[in-house]
Amino acid sequence: MKYLSVLILALLSFTRAGQDVYTCKNAKINIYSSAPIEDIEANSSEGVSVYNAATGELAFSVPIRSLHFQKAMMEEHFNENYMESDKFPKATFKGKIQEHPDLTKDGTYPVTVTGDFQVHGVSQSRTIKGEIKVNGGVLSMSSEFMVKCADHHIEIPKIVFHNIAESIRVRVSATYGALNSSK
Amino acid sequence: MKKSILFIALLALCAGVRAQQNDNKKSSTDSLMNSLSADDSKNEKVTAAFKATRLILSPTTENVKKNNLNFLVIHRFGDIGTSNGGFKTFFGLDAINDVYIGFEYGFTDNFQVMVGRSTIGQIGETQFKWAIVHQASSGSPVAISLLGGEGIRPYGNFASFSDRMSYIGEAIISRKFSPSFSLEVMPIYVQDNQPMPNIAGNEQGFFSVAGAARLKVTKHMSLIVDYEHPFSNFRNGTNGFEDPLGFGAEFETGGHVFTLNITNAAGISQINSLSNTEQSYGRGQFRLGFTISRMFDFSPKKNKDKNW
Repeated sequence: MKYLSVLILALLSFTRAGQDVYTCKNAKINIYSSAPIEDIEANSSEGVSVYNAATGELAFSVPIRSLHFQKAMMEEHFNENYMESDKFPKATFKGKIQEHPDLTKDGTYPVTVTGDFQVHGVSQSRTIKGEIKVNGGVLSMSSEFMVKCADHHIEIPKIVFHNIAESIRVRVSATYGALNSSK
Repeated sequence: MKKSILFIALLALCAGVRAQQNDNKKSSTDSLMNSLSADDSKNEKVTAAFKATRLILSPTTENVKKNNLNFLVIHRFGDIGTSNGGFKTFFGLDAINDVYIGFEYGFTDNFQVMVGRSTIGQIGETQFKWAIVHQASSGSPVAISLLGGEGIRPYGNFASFSDRMSYIGEAIISRKFSPSFSLEVMPIYVQDNQPMPNIAGNEQGFFSVAGAARLKVTKHMSLIVDYEHPFSNFRNGTNGFEDPLGFGAEFETGGHVFTLNITNAAGISQINSLSNTEQSYGRGQFRLGFTISRMFDFSPKKNKDKNW
């Protein structure tokens, strides 16, 4: 009897461990710059993310070239002149979520994540606020934060026609699926 | 006692298994990220081999994007080094040789139409440029565009209407070797229904080859060189013809591309420069020129993403 309960306990902990990793392959990224002449905005839905609920580890990555602008010229300048996407093809984030929300319960949990944010080949240690949502067992995250161009050595020449704000607003939203660990 | 030892041992085993799994996962976050983003190292199109749709003499493989309109003003001034040059004409600036005003419009990202008019021959041109092959990171090593066009000279004495017509067809083959260096080669055929210049022995149609290169010096400034050589039995040195050769600097300021150049050829239209360039660097017959282009984007405003 005791053996049985121990076995069940062991099994339980075993299977629970398998559900700790969540992945997302179509995270949405939106960047927005408000400037006197025109607002500039780009969207991507090709971000990837891994969240390990057991350790709190969170990783994000987005290909710079997947960010699409309304105007073709802006997209070319963004890639060629500012982000140099042939040299630095990705923007990444790797960090840890400080809180450990109970993902088995539906709800909205404000979280803080601390880690390295790398854009244009320059890493910055950032603490970013976000939100974890569990709705019907589906996990999603969202966040909004500002990125200073100067922090990542992105130069904005004075002569450029399209005025670009010194800080870019970044919005991220990802809906996760549990990694299938049944093998 | 035995039982409790067994119990603890089993628990430890479970914890061990679990901890190991977590360890695996910890180190596997990176490998998971890698495997998830594996397909974004896919076949990427190489973009912006050149900043502009044309250099000094030659068109490039770049096209005006869909719904974009490019407005061009191109100037060639007078000789710098001949008796018509010097300080009297402020090194040719008073003696404008050729002015081209034109528009380019992108019907798709790969197909554009150009219309324009030059002072030399009062030639009005319509051209089409079609990007058929794009350079890609693990695909084609080169980009290829096809260009076809006609030029008409509505004024001057011509025997018949068809004599007023000239045609040009070319393949533009470019390669962006590095972010800062691009090269292109163009086999060209030009047909002038009335030979230009209209001298006995001159041919109506002839092949040419042109080559051009761009070296990016800063993010917004490039050096360019552009060269054309007509393969013609008549258009050669003995009859006083020269190969057009241009050097320039290209400045990009977001929406504007400004090119400052020096060429021996006075004609801006390729039909003119290939058919009839008799100016020689050696005789001081080189001139300043510039190109100003301004891009207008007529893309319909996209609906904002509702999810934000």
